[in-house]
Amino acid sequence: MRKIIGILFAVSLVVACSSIDCPVNHSVYTRYMLYQPDGTPDTLVQDTMWVLTMRSDGKDTLVLNSLCGSNATGFSLPISYTQPEDKFIVLVRRLQDPEYLYYDSIIVKKENFPHFESVDCQASFFHRITNVRCMGNFIDSIVINNPDVNYDKDSPEHFRLYLNPDF
Amino acid sequence: MTKIRQSISAFTSILIFSLLLLGSTTTAHAQLKMFRMEKDSIPLFRGFQVSFDLVGPAMLMLGDHGEYEGALRLNLHDQWFPIFELGLGRANHEKDEVTKFTYKTTAPYFRIGMDWNIMKNKHQDNHLYAGFRYAFTSYKVDIIRDELPDPVWISPSQFGVKDMACSMHWLEIVFGIDAKIFGPLHLGWNVRYKRRIAHKDGELGNTWYVPGFGINDKDNLAANFNVIIDI
Repeated sequence: MRKIIGILFAVSLVVACSSIDCPVNHSVYTRYMLYQPDGTPDTLVQDTMWVLTMRSDGKDTLVLNSLCGSNATGFSLPISYTQPEDKFIVLVRRLQDPEYLYYDSIIVKKENFPHFESVDCQASFFHRITNVRCMGNFIDSIVINNPDVNYDKDSPEHFRLYLNPDF
Repeated sequence: MTKIRQSISAFTSILIFSLLLLGSTTTAHAQLKMFRMEKDSIPLFRGFQVSFDLVGPAMLMLGDHGEYEGALRLNLHDQWFPIFELGLGRANHEKDEVTKFTYKTTAPYFRIGMDWNIMKNKHQDNHLYAGFRYAFTSYKVDIIRDELPDPVWISPSQFGVKDMACSMHWLEIVFGIDAKIFGPLHLGWNVRYKRRIAHKDGELGNTWYVPGFGINDKDNLAANFNVIIDI
């Protein structure tokens, strides 16, 4: 009996150990889907889209590169950790007018919440979108579809983006 | 001749009656004897036991979290053991090498429940038992992460909280043994399945180590190795 208790003491230490259980994909992104005014999915067809943003050091950075084709029904953009507002510059080049870049902007207003999973998992920020607006050039309108931004990839898209039908 | 026959008949009847009476008296006496043999002379209150766990302090020595835990257990008829456990859980995870997180908490917790001796002969010095516990802790956590630069906008972000108030209620199913070593000293171990029933994790959405429960999850498995003293 005493020997068994000794062995079980060692087993107890092993049982008391834990495992790491972090989310596989902990990146937090916002998802945009293109829609026609009647609510059916839209695509860029033969146009090409780029999205840029301005960094805190004053330099611009590309966050979406050359989205194009009839399969381009949506895209993902990063969301800042703690800024109250993210501003994106959207550029589009049309196939029939390749020398000219059309531009628009998307401004996302949000609340930021630090999220902790475990000491073994990377820190992340979750967000709640409170407002979104655009310049209204080739983007007709943009609406919030799902205000909660986290790393749940199965959640519905966050924004519905309606392109200007006259564009 | 007739008188002789009557006498024989009367004698036979008396003999049969006597035998029947003797038989019934013997059966009643045996039943009384059996009843006396089954009567348990062990009193209901059999004393107290105090115990302390060695696994929690070992985990604190070898790792960054663990518990100091003691218990007071009543022995009722060597069969029922109402128990109260009190502990102090502690985590001090200093600046993780990968994630740079510092996690600190120190808080008490308690459990209350009952063990049942499931051995056939309950009045031995060794016990095999199963039991349950209700447990609760209210604790405060410091979660600190120095300078978290935004990978796209390159701006510094503050991440962390001090004295975040959290709490948890949970239930445990316990299975264990203890064996008498000498005198009032027993050694024993138990395995516990812990199931969270309610929790408040604070504004960061989650906590890591919960005093008394272990790593925060919907359930948990743990083991104790106890030094037990009869008092």
